[in-house]
Amino acid sequence: MSGADSDREWVATVRQRLIALGQTSAGERVLIALSALALSVLVGTVIVFVAGLVATCRDPVLTLGGTTLCYDPFYVFDRLFLGALGDPFAGGWSPLNPQFALTLRETTVLIFTGLSVALAFRAGIFNIGTQGQLIVGGLLSALTVLWAAPLVSGGLGALLLVPLGIAAGAVGGGAYGAIPGALKAYAEANEVITTIMLNFVAVLVARYLVTGPFNDPNSQANQTPPLPEIGQFPSVVFDPRTDFSIFALLLALAFVGGLYYLLTQTAFGYDLRTAGIQPAAAEYGGVDAARTIVASLTLSGAIGGVGGAVYVMMILGKFQTGVPSYGFDGITVSILAGNNPLGVVFAGALFGVLKSGSTVVAFATNVPPQLVGVLRGLIILFVAMPEFFRLVGRRLAAREDDAGPAPVGGGADD
Amino acid sequence: MPVSRRTLLGSLGTVTATSLAGCIGGGGGGDAAARIGMVYATGGLGDGSFNDQAQTGVVRAEEELGIAYDESQPETASEFGTLQQQYAQSSDPNYDLVCCIGFLQADALTENANQYGDQQFMIVDSVVDASNVGSYVFAEHEGSFLVGLMAGRLTTTSFSAGAGSTAGDSTNVGFVGGVESDLIKKFEAGFTAGVKYASDDVDVQTAYVGDFNNPSGGQEAAISMYDSGSDIVYHAAGNTGTGVFQAAQEAGKFAIGVDRDQSVTKSSYSDVILASMVKRVDNAVYSAVESVVDDEFEGGATTALGLEQNGVEAVFGQELGEDIPQDVKDEMSTAREDIIAGDISVPTDPNQVS
Repeated sequence: MSGADSDREWVATVRQRLIALGQTSAGERVLIALSALALSVLVGTVIVFVAGLVATCRDPVLTLGGTTLCYDPFYVFDRLFLGALGDPFAGGWSPLNPQFALTLRETTVLIFTGLSVALAFRAGIFNIGTQGQLIVGGLLSALTVLWAAPLVSGGLGALLLVPLGIAAGAVGGGAYGAIPGALKAYAEANEVITTIMLNFVAVLVARYLVTGPFNDPNSQANQTPPLPEIGQFPSVVFDPRTDFSIFALLLALAFVGGLYYLLTQTAFGYDLRTAGIQPAAAEYGGVDAARTIVASLTLSGAIGGVGGAVYVMMILGKFQTGVPSYGFDGITVSILAGNNPLGVVFAGALFGVLKSGSTVVAFATNVPPQLVGVLRGLIILFVAMPEFFRLVGRRLAAREDDAGPAPVGGGADD
Repeated sequence: MPVSRRTLLGSLGTVTATSLAGCIGGGGGGDAAARIGMVYATGGLGDGSFNDQAQTGVVRAEEELGIAYDESQPETASEFGTLQQQYAQSSDPNYDLVCCIGFLQADALTENANQYGDQQFMIVDSVVDASNVGSYVFAEHEGSFLVGLMAGRLTTTSFSAGAGSTAGDSTNVGFVGGVESDLIKKFEAGFTAGVKYASDDVDVQTAYVGDFNNPSGGQEAAISMYDSGSDIVYHAAGNTGTGVFQAAQEAGKFAIGVDRDQSVTKSSYSDVILASMVKRVDNAVYSAVESVVDDEFEGGATTALGLEQNGVEAVFGQELGEDIPQDVKDEMSTAREDIIAGDISVPTDPNQVS
């Protein structure tokens, strides 16, 4: 057999494997994800162990002869996962503990950004701009609440201000998402480039606005004045000190349900999904491609903008420069979820655990944050890769159906 | 319900560590004179500047006062509050003092100081008005004045040392700031005032990178300054300043460091670092810890550390310091005395520099 033949065979095998992976059932996927998680913890344990041997520290966890071990790998992962949940096995556990609140708080914002990216993905658009849309939405929401706060008062104010802020966030993020949408639809500008560049624009314009015209004169930081109490998500159930409101999480879940319904049950969702899978076929079938692109990026931006509003009105209580990279994490959340709105909840929760767990590790051990970042990246990489290959496999399968040998007997005319 | 985190951590930690090998590191927390929690600024440890300087203070306190400490490095501003709370809530061990490094922590601390009235805090670079918070601020403008004076003198003479040299006919120097804020403007104002004090003919080019952790941004800003005729650039930009040093080496010009003696902490650039405006954050941390150990902690007080208290000082570079002409050094010492005596008043706002 010639070399070229065996090469082709090898490629064909990989193709078949990928396509097979693309057809795994939901149960199999959960199993794959759990094994990937376990494997990543195993690899991470080795890394922490080796790093602990190499590092020098004040109080090593283990001393054997001349060698010292600085970090206890088991304890690091114990803190990363159990710590993030508030130690469920320690007795006296309550789901309202502050660490679990932090986990849910991060999860909430990540659900929004994950949904934002997932929606665009389903329409075949790679929206890297969720971070910028979140910043614009958050800023507009803060400014709107600050502007409206003196006009309303009391209990009625709280009922009006928070929805107003959310709406402002959606408008800001949506308008900012519409720009790359219009550029793609009418000027054929690649959305990957435009959304990335618009992120920088958002950061810089926001910085200009909060250092200049909307600066808080009472603070050295680059931020707007603090929002009034009635302009922030009310704390019920959870301790107000945790900066987490169950309403925000419920809102996020409502968005999940709404988006799922939109994608699977409505004509617009059908257009959007077909445009994502087969743009040419969709257009042939009567879908207005330009309109769908603008609409899906606008909607995607609006969801990111609501995420920004939640960040501003629940977590920070003002807009400040240096917004954490929720938007970029949203890309990974979306891939992890296979671009499925329901999956975003679980992917967002995993991310939330990792983010919150990192602060527990930082507090409870002397492991440097960079090493914790490595562990986090490792877990995400391991869990996301099978999902990534599955998406590739599905693409391949779709193409094979498309270009594969036509069935004998004129099935093509159906 | 605030859960005692350290209790849980402690018991779980023991279980895991013993199951590992049955040999647990002591930690040294039990019989320490005091237990300190450190919450650093977002640049993190290893910046060779602000955070490292704060750590120097707590390490010295550990050696000399026998305290124990734990430290946390937040990644974003939204984590400040969470980490402060974790220390404040902890009861095993109980933290006698939580040190909050950097003015960005002020808002979170204002809230937490109220919520945790029994916890003692200290903050560097900002004033928090609460009875359980000790505030430490520095007169950065005073120290910056001295290095500005030096830069103004050297740029107008033909001076060369190490890997750099100045053109005798140059009439401008540069300033690179991190995030534009009142604090960093104090550095700029003092530096500019010092330069103008040396010579009215010398101009200061100013740029703010917008980040304390962006060396390539600092490098770009400095390159354009060197290209347009500056021979000395002073930075107050944390890790962003590392890029300024790189640019100085490439251009064969000079730079001035900040917060620590950066000719030591960034020794690969010591052939271009003339001097550093050292801000003794370590002294602030150390004296706060000392006051807690001695039971003399004064909550609600603001301590201002200027040239007089050695809170800020101009330190010459370890490699280039000897080459700086003695008359320039003498003039700097005279100016230092004059500032302490009140004969020279240094502005804190760049707009007030005449």
